[in-house]
Formats: sequence, C-alpha cells, structure tokens
Amino acid sequence: MNFTAPLLLSLKLSAITMTLLLIAGIPLAYWLVFSRARWKFLAESVVALPIVLPPTVLGFYLLMIVGGNSVIGQWYESFFNKTLAFSFEGLVLGSFIYSLPFAVQPFQAAFASVDRRLLEASWTLGRSRPYTFFSVIMPLSRQGIITGCVLSFAHTLGEFGVVLMIGGNIPGVTKVASVAIYDEVQSLNYGSANMYSMILLSFSFAILAVVYFINRRFIRTI
Amino acid sequence: MLNICLQKTWKEFGLDVTFRIPRGKVTALFGHSGAGKSSILRIIAGLETADSGAISHGTEVWFDKEKGIHLPPQRRSVGFVFQDFALFPHLTVEKNVAYGVKEKANLKNLRELISLVGLAGYERYYPVQLSGGQKQRVALIRALAREPDLLLLDEPLSALDWETRRQLQEDLKSIINQFHVTTLYVTHDVTEVYKLADYVIALESGKIVKQGTPEDVFLGKKLSTRIQIVGKVVAIESDAIMAAVTVIHDDQYFKTLIDTEEIVRLKVKVGDDVVIGAKSSDVILFKVLTQS
Repeated sequence: MNFTAPLLLSLKLSAITMTLLLIAGIPLAYWLVFSRARWKFLAESVVALPIVLPPTVLGFYLLMIVGGNSVIGQWYESFFNKTLAFSFEGLVLGSFIYSLPFAVQPFQAAFASVDRRLLEASWTLGRSRPYTFFSVIMPLSRQGIITGCVLSFAHTLGEFGVVLMIGGNIPGVTKVASVAIYDEVQSLNYGSANMYSMILLSFSFAILAVVYFINRRFIRTI
Repeated sequence: MLNICLQKTWKEFGLDVTFRIPRGKVTALFGHSGAGKSSILRIIAGLETADSGAISHGTEVWFDKEKGIHLPPQRRSVGFVFQDFALFPHLTVEKNVAYGVKEKANLKNLRELISLVGLAGYERYYPVQLSGGQKQRVALIRALAREPDLLLLDEPLSALDWETRRQLQEDLKSIINQFHVTTLYVTHDVTEVYKLADYVIALESGKIVKQGTPEDVFLGKKLSTRIQIVGKVVAIESDAIMAAVTVIHDDQYFKTLIDTEEIVRLKVKVGDDVVIGAKSSDVILFKVLTQS
C-alpha cells in the first residue's frame, strides 16, 4: 500500500491537472490565436514561462503567493479551514501553472493551423462563431488537443521541483512518485527507487507511443 | 437590387467604387489581379470592413459607416464560393452541403441538389476523394442550399484545368438560371464574362473604369453581327495582305481570314481574347445527313 500510494497520487494529480488544463486551456488558446489585442504577446510569454523557468523558482514564488502569510493563503485558510501550501489542492494549482504551456501551445498550434477560409465559409453559411468553433475548429484540431492533453498529463507525472516546493513530502497527501524516488535515494533504498523510476519510465513511454500511434492514424484518415 | 458604395485604403492601394447589382442577374466584376475585385466581394460578404461607404440590399442595410451599422457575415443573406473551394475536409459531401441549412425540413431537398450537379452517389465521399470540378460543384450547392439573396463567386473556376472549366461554365450558367439568384461573379477571364454575365463592371486599380453589357465593355460598341464567337487566339499566320487567325472556343477551332492591317491596328497577338463576328447575310447551312 505504501509503495503504490505515491504512484496513485501521481496519477490522480495528473488526471485532475489534465482535465483542468483541457477546460481552461482551450478558451485561452482560442483567445491567443484569434484575439487582436496588442498586448497578446505578453500573455503568450507568461504562458510559456514555465518552459524556461527552473521549477524551483516557480515553486518558490507560488509558495510565497499561497503560503500562510500571504493574502491568498490566509483567505483560503479562513474559507476552507486548511492551508493551500502543503496540500493536494496546492499541488494541483502548482501543476496547473507548471504544465500550462504543454497543453496551451499544442492547442494554439492546432487552432492556428485551421485554414481561415474554412472559418469564413462557415460564417458566410450563417453559422455563429461558437458553432464554427465546435463544428470546424475542434474536429480539425483533435490531433493537437490529444497531444496537449497527453503532454500535460505526462509532464505533471514527471514534475519534481514545483511539487516539492509547494507540496513538500507528506505521505498520502503530497508525496507523489517523483518525490518518492528522491526520498528512496536519500535513504539509499535504490531497489524501490528503481521500481518507481521503472514504472514512471514505462508509463511515460507507453502513453507517448499511444499518442504518436493515434496521431499517425488521424493523419492517414484526413 | 444591391447598392454598393465603398472606400478602403491599404498601404499602397485604394478602393473607391459605387455600383448596383440588378436583381436576378449575373454581374461580373472583371479586372486583372490586384484590381481589388476579391476585396470588394469580401467587403460585401462582411468578411472585411470598408473605411467608409454603405451597402444595402433592398431596404436592408448591411453596412453604413456613418450610422455605425456593420452586420456580421452570418446576418447577410449571401452564399460565398471561394476560389479554393473551402470545403470542410472532415465532413462528407452531404454534410458539407447541409452545413448552412438550419431548417430540418429543407434537408430532404439536399439530395436533389446533389444530383442536380451530377454528384448523386457521392453523398458519403469526403472532399479529398473528389476531383477539382466536383469540389467546386459541392462548394456551389453548399452556398445555394440555404437559398441566399446574393451569390458571390470569387474566381470560382481559376483553380481548375481548362477542360473542367469549360464544362463547369455551362453547369454554372444552368444552375444559376435555375435558382434565379442575384449573382456577383469575380473573374479575369473575358470568355467567362461573355458566357455567364448579363452585366460587367470592369475594375482597374481599385476604380471602376467601365460598366455595361459585355459588348459595351469589351468592344465599346454594339455589334450588328449575326454570328459571334468569343475565344482565344491560338495562331496568326499573316502575309502583307491577309492574315489567318485561329481562335479556340469550347475546344473547337475556328479559322478565319482578315486584313493584316486590321490585325496590326488592333495589336492582336496569340493568347488574346477576341470576338469574331460575321456580318454576312448569306451564311450557308448544310443539313447533316444521317444514315437511315
């Protein structure tokens, strides 16, 4: 049970993060592609920050923002009667921000690659922008949507720095598989560190292989 | 009647036109590339905005800069046929055609529409499985399926090979006639104008230079000829006095003799679009004998 708990926690965290990124990432990517706002490049830079930033920097500032001494942290504590830092919810927040570009950028690339004439054709056929989005943009972007989901899932599964900074190492609450590996190595338990590593490696490889396989099939059918 | 008055300025190009499109007729917007034809079409459809001017269809105002009216494309009753077809690649022929039809009752007419353009049996095909000509037919009936007040065609045949073009010109004419839909047709092909249009607006560098019937615009006069053939010059063999001009029209060759002087005066060369007219009142007619 103790061995599987970090793995299950990792999977749960990845699944929740992926779902939230799917819900929030699609409208954000749509806005980034189709908005004419002049300061859009700033938003794009913020979204891409986690790619270049050391996870510890991100984790540190997140901890400052949601920690017990911050306004947000205190508000959260008074509302839910527990801290956001060092909790599973805090991990979800950290993972969401950390994996944001891995979901949004593939969504964005997919939306941008839809031929604009198809959207114009849809509008001149009397169809609204939301209808066009669900009937033209989404079906033609399914490859990018799947890629974004899987990448954000896999990326969350493998994150370490942010998780450790914001979540710490509380068994059953914030001790995910990547942290467990670090823990086992620190205690010189190379055997179980290897087991965790092997499982993460195989799992990551398997989902990436499945995605590339599915994408190839889509390419053939379109 | 569609009334159009619009001005728009880009960095190095300005558009300034005022014209009317008569109801139920085919009007061609003719000009060389870069004359601003497609931009006018896109502004009428609401895909682009003009800097100033107004567009009204009957009593309905689609655009009026002064009054701040700008109806989105969805609220203008237009059918737009794009140069590169713009069919939805993930939808079948049937679903492409049905895309703009909101009333389910009209859906049963779709199959009739599909067979009207000779695509019965292709309902479940995807665009990638169709030829260029078939794609353009689908694009045309998709635009007509929601019964628009105005049909806008943006060089609909230019992406097709010559043979397919010729066939589609005939089909277009008969389909447009059947629907009695007011049509604005963008083209740079004189033959197409002669074949399809009742009225021509000739455009040069964003301004209207001539308008009228194809004869008014291209010949500057009414021809009193009995026979007219519009075609492209494929060969000129001339000596000092006479020239033999070969013209291709509907993949048939017509060879005629004309004064060399006339050829020189008109600067006719291979590749030009020309009208061959014959004033002769004693045209000979033969009955083709069929074997009994």
